[in-house]
Amino acid sequence: MRYMGFVKMVPGQGEPPQALIEAMDQHIQRNIADGVFVDGGGLYSETFRTEIRLRGGEMTTIDGPFAEGREEVGGYSVLEFRDHDEAVEGARQLVELHRRFWPGWEGSVEVRRIAGPDEVGGK
Amino acid sequence: MTATEAAVTAAWRAESARLIATLVRLTGDVALAEDLAQDALVAALEQWPREGIPASPGAWLTTTARRRAIDTFRHNEVVRRHANALAERPDPPEEDDMADQVDHVEDDVLRLIFLCCHPALTPDSRAALTLRLVAGLSTSEIARAFLVSETTMGQRLTRAKRTLAQVRAEFEVPDLAARIDRLDDVLSVIYLIFNEGHTATAGSEWFRADLCHEAVRLARMVAAMLPGEPDAHALQALVELHAARLPARTDADGVPVLLAEQDRRRWDQLLTRRGLAALDRAEDLARSGRPVGSYFLQASIAAVHMRARTAEETDWARIARLYDVLAATAPGPVIEVNRAVAHGRARDPEAGLEILAALPDDALADSPVRAAVTGDLLLRAGRAAEAAAAFDRAAALTRNDAERAVLVRRAEQARTHDR
Repeated sequence: MRYMGFVKMVPGQGEPPQALIEAMDQHIQRNIADGVFVDGGGLYSETFRTEIRLRGGEMTTIDGPFAEGREEVGGYSVLEFRDHDEAVEGARQLVELHRRFWPGWEGSVEVRRIAGPDEVGGK
Repeated sequence: MTATEAAVTAAWRAESARLIATLVRLTGDVALAEDLAQDALVAALEQWPREGIPASPGAWLTTTARRRAIDTFRHNEVVRRHANALAERPDPPEEDDMADQVDHVEDDVLRLIFLCCHPALTPDSRAALTLRLVAGLSTSEIARAFLVSETTMGQRLTRAKRTLAQVRAEFEVPDLAARIDRLDDVLSVIYLIFNEGHTATAGSEWFRADLCHEAVRLARMVAAMLPGEPDAHALQALVELHAARLPARTDADGVPVLLAEQDRRRWDQLLTRRGLAALDRAEDLARSGRPVGSYFLQASIAAVHMRARTAEETDWARIARLYDVLAATAPGPVIEVNRAVAHGRARDPEAGLEILAALPDDALADSPVRAAVTGDLLLRAGRAAEAAAAFDRAAALTRNDAERAVLVRRAEQARTHDR
């Protein structure tokens, strides 16, 4: 079953340490070698980012700055797991890497199953 | 199952191939390696709920199993020397397992795959052993997939491991000359697993599709570990592209849907893109002079179908050319029947019928495929009465109820046409 994983963090924690970048790279290489990782990438934080919002029938375009303080998505991956337990373990390992290689980092990893063609939102 | 137990099982499945591969290298014995790995799993189920999940589950399992390997050897006089050599090496530090050992460990996994696909084993045993040791499936899961009892599958696996021990199968990546033959064995085992899931002759639909996904995963592993081998990328392309069509292969009632009638919006875009990218990699390697085999041609044919937005837009001339090359390199009646379909579309139905007429009478005599294709070509050629008779023959030959219903319907349609 296919999952989307998001790494989320409160902005303003600085740049990730080189050790984390290397560990993440190895983690992804390993997932590729296991046939688990099928797609993914990092996301720009401020540039090339636009929100189009509808409120009370009014459409507004926001190019930033975006609200500070809330967790935002820094990257995504599409992964194929056999069951939800494997997805949870994958997410836990990613958080573990952050704990080891980016002391003080606060954030979260979320895994969500992607609904198949016959499932509506996976209720 | 508690959350920790679920985590143990998930970590085990993610790590078992690497764990068993490392243990086979250390012990030289597949059955012992598997037992030690199982012991480590049991230890994890005991300790992790109390002590928490370790930072690196793979390293924890490896260290635990390695210590048990040393203990086991110490109890055995014959291999005491081996144990002493092993014990003199320090435990690898848990923290650095991913940083320093990843290449080494991936080599072990590759060796394990070659070992599971050893020529001394039958193709079915190779497939079962690969699913057990590399994919980490349980014996009962593999038994269900191959439609045999758990006892039968357990015996098959035990026999396979004993055979490997008897022939003193070497745990190594074969040298270049031998590797070409052996890689072909590995790829054909993965393709066999895929087809086992793909050919839904019986059994639970749901699990059979899972088997296809296991094969896709194995194909990705081998291509990632042997990036310079065009055939590895070609097989990956082939299974990714076929897996992309799985969601459209049956309708809501589980009745098979022919390729021409599939709802192409249901094809998996991500797998299609990955399959086409793998085919590009194979093509690049082929261009630089590495020889390619039949998986490359089959994947190229699948790619032509995937690139057509509708069945009518299919480039049948290109498919016909590819089947001509395939027929020249890997001749066989199944290829000829497919070649007949392609030429029947690319040129005219008579061209396809000529190819079928050139086949010996007894070729594919037990399979409904030849008669069904003959019926289709005859119908397109306007020979409806002969077409109806061919569909009747095909319907009598199939053992699949859903397929029979389709063929009976086509025979009736041909008869209506004839009136």
